[in-house]
Amino acid sequence: MNFTDYLFFPVFAAVIIVYFVVPQKKRWIVLLAASIVFFLTWSLEMFPFALFAAFVAWIAARKIEKRYEALNAYTKKQKKAVTKKQTDLTQETKKKCRHILWIAAAVILFMLIYSKIQYVMADIPVLSGIVALLSDLYCTVSRFFEKIPILSYFASDTAAQEGGQFSFLVPLGISYYTLSLVGYLADVYWRKERAERNFGKLLLYALYFPKILEGPIAKHRNIAQQLNEGGNFDYTRLCHGLQRMLWGYFKKLVIADRISLLVTEVYGNYTEYFGTVLFVATVAGAVQLYCDFSGCMDIALGISEVFGIELEENFRRPFFSESAAEFWRRWHITMGVWFKDYIYMPLAVSPKLIRAAGTVKKRAGKRAGKNFMTIVPLAVVWFLTGLWHGTGMNYIVWGIYWGALIILSSVLEPELKKLTKLLHINTESSGYRRFRCIRTFLLFCVSRVITIPGNLHATAEIFRRILFHFSPWEFFDGTLYTIGLDRPDFLLALLTLFILYLVGKKQEQGIAIRQKVDSLFLVWRWLIYLAAIFAVLIFGIYGAGYDASAFVYMNY
Amino acid sequence: MEEKIMELLSEEYPDIDFAASDSLVDDGILDSLTITGIIATLSMEFGIVIPYEEIIEENFNSIAGLARMVEKLQ
Repeated sequence: MNFTDYLFFPVFAAVIIVYFVVPQKKRWIVLLAASIVFFLTWSLEMFPFALFAAFVAWIAARKIEKRYEALNAYTKKQKKAVTKKQTDLTQETKKKCRHILWIAAAVILFMLIYSKIQYVMADIPVLSGIVALLSDLYCTVSRFFEKIPILSYFASDTAAQEGGQFSFLVPLGISYYTLSLVGYLADVYWRKERAERNFGKLLLYALYFPKILEGPIAKHRNIAQQLNEGGNFDYTRLCHGLQRMLWGYFKKLVIADRISLLVTEVYGNYTEYFGTVLFVATVAGAVQLYCDFSGCMDIALGISEVFGIELEENFRRPFFSESAAEFWRRWHITMGVWFKDYIYMPLAVSPKLIRAAGTVKKRAGKRAGKNFMTIVPLAVVWFLTGLWHGTGMNYIVWGIYWGALIILSSVLEPELKKLTKLLHINTESSGYRRFRCIRTFLLFCVSRVITIPGNLHATAEIFRRILFHFSPWEFFDGTLYTIGLDRPDFLLALLTLFILYLVGKKQEQGIAIRQKVDSLFLVWRWLIYLAAIFAVLIFGIYGAGYDASAFVYMNY
Repeated sequence: MEEKIMELLSEEYPDIDFAASDSLVDDGILDSLTITGIIATLSMEFGIVIPYEEIIEENFNSIAGLARMVEKLQ
């Protein structure tokens, strides 16, 4: 079950009713039960692994906290100033806590890492044995669940279909809950929050169903209290939540899934198309990914809002960004924050790196030292971000591409400022700012060409065709209406994109659309709601059996 | 301490007015690149190690917060 399954809506309605009927203190149990059912209907085989990951995080965080508590109790007893014994004990405690953190994080991340590199491992003779062993384990777990009548109802028939062959592809939300749990553990280790005492509550944090498909990667300390205390029923919040969900469905079903017909057709047969069509499909692919991913986030945040739980925003109109760095502060925000808080910052402030920067500064000057501090952690972060998206060479190139753009724009900032001054460019003018937005969007499109085709050979061929076989007349001769979308569908896609642009522009100007809608006369307000509902029902793209296509980022 | 840190950072980051706000991080005046630069500068200048636990908004929101942190770690 995902947010676009027809079964989701009655289940969601039932959860809302039960959630607000039970006493407030017990509401977290309703959410936990709903989250478990949601998870089981999607990936029964992965549930024990998810449970195990949460259990490891729970135990490890409690152990870390107990050690710190023991240290604090000892420190309080000491009346004198800091003694050597006390310093040694502090170091020892930190070291032991660090070991617990590393072991627990390694166990939790193992699933994530393994799901990413299994194919790489399978090609290496020594490692293929490990793959086979884990495959057997996976199949045993799958078969065990299939034998239990109640659970077999939920079981996906993956293992059976494959005839016992290993098919542990990418389980539901694996990145999202593993990264969330590792972040939680690190925060307990750095004493930025207290360990959760109740395992059920930590499990709810890990599996909370609105965020399990594609995030956002919420921090434990930002949502735990809301989840545990339970929200009160609020009619306005209910309406706002449902409105946001509707907007998400509009983006996903009407825009993204419509455009994907064109993108899939062109990229699936790229050797049959030339520059113009490939260029249009690339731009469309960029917009499709945005509408798909941010649409899912609108639905997730809307669902959560209904329960009175505020999740973090994952998108802030990224196509209005004026630079690559700004783009990544607006696109997949919670992933960026995770990498910043748990990879970039710890690395950038590590004494070893600072000492190395000091040496560079002494030998090559102040600017070189500063650049060293910028380049090293950013390079590591972008390499890992590339690997997070996939293990193929195209994803590594993708990571290097974004890393290089962001590093160069930071390192060369003084020169770029001089250049704009030399060329008498008014950097505050609306024309220049618009140019920067378009440039950033095109840089994003380039990154899509690196990843969409699946291999670098195809990427190179697509670039070659766009640059050297560009046929502008194809814009006007009707060619564009023959590739996945007919003329009415193509024009409808353009119209919906224009609506998306207008909404984004208003929001950029600080206008809250939902409050505007709230302030409208009842009849007008309901006309808008009904128009949106009918737009989704009539213009949404549904496949066989009325199944919408899966969300793109669900596979991470 | 505050004057020394102000002098040091103003020299390092001439475009930033560190006295302008008491919520430099919350107001978005300091981004993560600048924060890591400040950490490097303070670590090298005062010979201190700034543990990750100390990298919280409260310590970086103002020069006074930075001075308190450096004094504590010295």
